[in-house]
Amino acid sequence: MKWKKLGQIFDFNKSSFKDKFISHSQSPQALVFKNFVRIYFSTRKKSENRKFLSYIQYVDFDKSFSKIINQSNHEVLALGNLGSFDEHGIFPMNPIKVKNKIYAYTSGWTRRVSVDVDSGIGLVVSKNGGETFRRIGAGPVLTSSLYEPFLVIDGFVKRFDDIFHMWYIYGTDWKIYHENKNPERTYVIGHAISHNGIDWKKENRQIIESKYKGECQALPTVIKKEDRYHMYFCHRNSYDFRNNPKKSYKLGYAYSDDLLNWIRDDSLSGIDVSENSWDSDMMCYPNLFVCFNEFYLLYNGNDFGKNGFGLAKLIED
Amino acid sequence: MFKWIKLGKIFDPTVVENIEWMHEYAQAPATLVFDDFVRVYFSCRSKRDKQGQFISYSAFIDLDRKNLFNILRISDEPVLTLGKRGCFDEFGTYPISIVKKDNDILAYYAGWTRCQSVPFNTAIGLGISRNGGKTFEKIGNGPVLSYSIDEPFIISGPKIRKFNNRYFLFYVCGKKWILINNKPEMSLKIRLAFSYDGINWEKHNKNLIIETNGINESQASPDVFYANGKYHMFFCSWNPLTFRKTKSRKIGYAYSKNLLNWTRDDSKAGINISEDGFDNEMVAYPHVFELDGKIYMMYLGNEVGKFGFGLAALQGELK
Repeated sequence: MKWKKLGQIFDFNKSSFKDKFISHSQSPQALVFKNFVRIYFSTRKKSENRKFLSYIQYVDFDKSFSKIINQSNHEVLALGNLGSFDEHGIFPMNPIKVKNKIYAYTSGWTRRVSVDVDSGIGLVVSKNGGETFRRIGAGPVLTSSLYEPFLVIDGFVKRFDDIFHMWYIYGTDWKIYHENKNPERTYVIGHAISHNGIDWKKENRQIIESKYKGECQALPTVIKKEDRYHMYFCHRNSYDFRNNPKKSYKLGYAYSDDLLNWIRDDSLSGIDVSENSWDSDMMCYPNLFVCFNEFYLLYNGNDFGKNGFGLAKLIED
Repeated sequence: MFKWIKLGKIFDPTVVENIEWMHEYAQAPATLVFDDFVRVYFSCRSKRDKQGQFISYSAFIDLDRKNLFNILRISDEPVLTLGKRGCFDEFGTYPISIVKKDNDILAYYAGWTRCQSVPFNTAIGLGISRNGGKTFEKIGNGPVLSYSIDEPFIISGPKIRKFNNRYFLFYVCGKKWILINNKPEMSLKIRLAFSYDGINWEKHNKNLIIETNGINESQASPDVFYANGKYHMFFCSWNPLTFRKTKSRKIGYAYSKNLLNWTRDDSKAGINISEDGFDNEMVAYPHVFELDGKIYMMYLGNEVGKFGFGLAALQGELK
């Protein structure tokens, strides 16, 4: 694979979102319409106790990705009720067209005491072309289970041969690496299937091998090109990943011919950090999509997408 | 109306000495009958820490089968360990329910985690005992029954039963956290899940028991017992809007032919508070069991079992 970077196509600080939100446009996820491409992302407000709350917003690009032709100026999706899995933020949200509706798989966050958060994956539905979404219920469609004890999040859903596939991540460890510091999480990629997009069956195994103990794998995204399935995801160290570019998020790559067995080979990803740029320290939260028969990759750069997101186009297999 | 004759208090955890983790409370009794004794599992609480927080542990006492007021032994350690950091059962295991499976004994328990916006959340875990029920090992770090679309939080109060080679797990789920005087109070409903192996569960996804005390009525302790051609459920219920003041939780009753459709008739329950004693404010969290041809009920007294549980015997039959 070889990707050509088209640059940072969205800059939060040059957008009107900064009037309502404080920062971030994380985990851009595309939904392709006839005349435009809608890109959902998570942006942040501060709550009364000075913690963050992530909210979903969107921008609509023309199909050359040179111009923003519309954006959300309203609440796309309310946060969950008191005590619910998505009470303290939704980040990210993965949209998919299902018949004449749009489903979106939300990653809901809720705050804990001994660790920062727990999470779950919810389903919301839009009947107005993706402008607003409503929950199908107050609880999650995918959550912790016997062998996936916490941090079930980052659902990405695709239909292949009439089966819904979800790739997501689950936590394996909360660990304190340095005295007097908060516990840090470790998570890896899992897979579930469904016939209706609502009831899911987990495969109950880690599907992408870790390169080392304590590697974090996040936000899998999958696309089919000819007979092969390609997965991008991001990976980082479990600690010291916020300010140390050597341990921070980078993109990983794996491929499969049967959706069961995945071969990881990051060296084939065909994309890497730039030098002295918006994506020179970090690349994270990838999202693959097709538009006009071209393959595109959305992602965030430095600081976990604090300032915006960028786009790359596939130029070689 | 059924007629329950109260026989007295069986166990008071506040008089037990030198067990740090069993400071007070003996909640949600669940029996397992052995040849010479009746083992009663229950959950107790440690002393509160500086922040006023406590941890619930599950334990057992063994009662002399010939005289249930004779306590033969108290478990010398909790029957379940707490979960790892970040797990659903890091801060407590309460309540617990027991069933035999071949040579093993299975324990279903609600694991507790602490939250910021509400005090806690729970999900149901599974432990397996290979030492006759003295301790239970978990087979994974996560729950066997967790949150889902219509059951957003507080999956708790498991009561495991086996009928016709199939496992039935009666439990409660939270439907709403309601702020009363700025304090979150929960509205719980009785639910049901099915399993053939005790590990993989299919939820029924319906409330089993209609409310008689407003739509926010909380229901708990769905204790099901089969007798005379039907299933009898004793449970308890309360109004989350007023119960802190009234201290009232009541034992309710429902029956069913098929385990799915239940007819509620609290007027038949036949047990209420005493005039004085450890249960003069509250009689709650019932557990019905049969021993040597007699049917008994264990129940919690005042302050949800802070001072232990009592025993009553049924006069007549469950019909």
